[in-house]
Amino acid sequence: MPDALLLLGIFAGAYLGFAALAMSQDRHWHHLGGARHCPRRACMALRCAGWALLLASLVLALMRDGAGFGSLLWATVITVGALSVVATLSWRAHWLRPAARLLQHLG
Amino acid sequence: MEQGFRASMNWLHTWAGVVLGGLLFAIFWMGTLAVFDREIDRWMAPMIRLPAAEKPFSLESLRPLYETAAAAKSPFFSVGLPTDRDAAIRVLWSDQSGQTHRFIDPNTGAVLPDPGTLAGTRFIFPFHYMLHIRAENIGYWLVGLAAMAMMALCVSGVIIHRKIFTDFFTFRPDRKPRRLVLDLHNVTGVLGWPFHFLITLSGLVIFWSTYFPSAWQLTYNGDRLAFFADAYGNVVPKGRSGESGGMASFDAMASEARRVWEGSALRYVFVRNPGDAKSIVQIGRLDEGIVSSTYDAAYFDGPTGALISYKSGTAPVMSVQRFLAGFHFIQFRHWSLRWIYFGLGLTGCVLIATGYLFWLESRRKKHAQLGLKGVRIVEGLAVGSVTGMLIATAAFFVANRLLPLGAEAFGLDRAALEVWTFYLVWLATFAHAWARPQRAWMEQCWTVAALACAAALLNWITTGDHLVRSLSYRHLWPIAGMDILLLAGSAIAAVSALRLSRPSRVARVRHA
Repeated sequence: MPDALLLLGIFAGAYLGFAALAMSQDRHWHHLGGARHCPRRACMALRCAGWALLLASLVLALMRDGAGFGSLLWATVITVGALSVVATLSWRAHWLRPAARLLQHLG
Repeated sequence: MEQGFRASMNWLHTWAGVVLGGLLFAIFWMGTLAVFDREIDRWMAPMIRLPAAEKPFSLESLRPLYETAAAAKSPFFSVGLPTDRDAAIRVLWSDQSGQTHRFIDPNTGAVLPDPGTLAGTRFIFPFHYMLHIRAENIGYWLVGLAAMAMMALCVSGVIIHRKIFTDFFTFRPDRKPRRLVLDLHNVTGVLGWPFHFLITLSGLVIFWSTYFPSAWQLTYNGDRLAFFADAYGNVVPKGRSGESGGMASFDAMASEARRVWEGSALRYVFVRNPGDAKSIVQIGRLDEGIVSSTYDAAYFDGPTGALISYKSGTAPVMSVQRFLAGFHFIQFRHWSLRWIYFGLGLTGCVLIATGYLFWLESRRKKHAQLGLKGVRIVEGLAVGSVTGMLIATAAFFVANRLLPLGAEAFGLDRAALEVWTFYLVWLATFAHAWARPQRAWMEQCWTVAALACAAALLNWITTGDHLVRSLSYRHLWPIAGMDILLLAGSAIAAVSALRLSRPSRVARVRHA
């Protein structure tokens, strides 16, 4: 069971990490209800969070499966995570709207 | 300069893609299926849908088969032992009439009836790396050429991409077809890049001694066996003595091998020169717990059963090659990674297919105005390579379920009939694509949907393993997985066909 949870964590890290990175881009920020350009502070926060989440995903993968399988799992799961973000932005963008709105108020 | 370089890379990307895209799609598709080759074996050969053995299997019960192989003067006698993915034991030897394959039930030791199919491990997997073209290694070289082209496509694709970071997550399904397929091509290409590049590179690295033969031929004076002995740690086999010799206990040798590897499980037993006084028994280690495929093996003198030598681990230089090979072969036990490989393999297929579609969509109008035939030719090639390959695969599965055991026709046995079905159907899809260019995509999508659905239904009718049943027994999960993927594939093909048959789309294609 912890194995399955860790796998979920690895995927979640990759998915949320790429979601944050995508949101920091003007095109997706605007698409998600933000202004034409992503504000500097929100953009920096999103990029830092994005990279940190990807790193966390790698750490979890190495913890779960060791150096060999862990690095392989991470390198492939991030593609799955990124493609899931693409699918979300294309067909279920409203899932990410609340997060964007929250950041607008903070930024 | 910048413009010139990018233009030349664009030229390379376009031409390599158009000329070799069909071959690349076939290799990617078969490789993706080969991820589940053993599971496909179980689906196509119902007699090996066996539960895992409860008690250890005695290799001695294979002795009658060994004696048969020795009497037939077979140069080898090979036994594949059960793994997590494959409960049956696979025995192989050859005589004048060709190779004999037998499946053994590890619970009873019974020899199972001949399934009459090459299935996943003997048709789909070899198709992936040598296209079943044996003459002069042409198949290997064609796959190597396609792989080199894929590497060039991966690199040139990154160079010609105008907005790689801006478009990183961009897919706009509501846009015009030309934009939509380019988005899909870019997204699968950029996001799947690490996997596509590494899987291609590692595929090339596996066959380095085939593709760069001069390296070892010069060093070893053309002595292939001596080279393999150094590189992979194989013992150079002694020739036949011509005198007959006995064979020590297989079980004793197997337990000795387990002892030197500290209890590790075993993958195979391979006897060279069965029945000869100089027979050698090679026993392979099952190393499912690491990425690398190490080829660890122990060698025994056949008649006495004495351990000659054994190998664990790999020399530093080869360890990189073995890691890359292991990464490519996925003989390790990691179900999450196996499914991810399958999914990413499919993104490779989407990448190649959308590459073709973009080429076609961006030239359709211009070629029609100028009266050029390029679009028509390439469209036939693309349809036959993409949907045609899917139809041929589904027809292979349907033929497998329709042909009775022991079927023969036109002097061909059952396994050959399945393979001929595959090739003839594939050929027919090209003919169809060139004969009916306007409707080929749509009609072939409908055919995929019908055949894939029929395959899943025929599995139920001919074996009784419907989804409820196959999902409720652990040893039938591979069957359930295959049926679910067939039904899902059928649904996706049907949805695609429906979208393609929308009046606007058909009219647009027809006017072009």
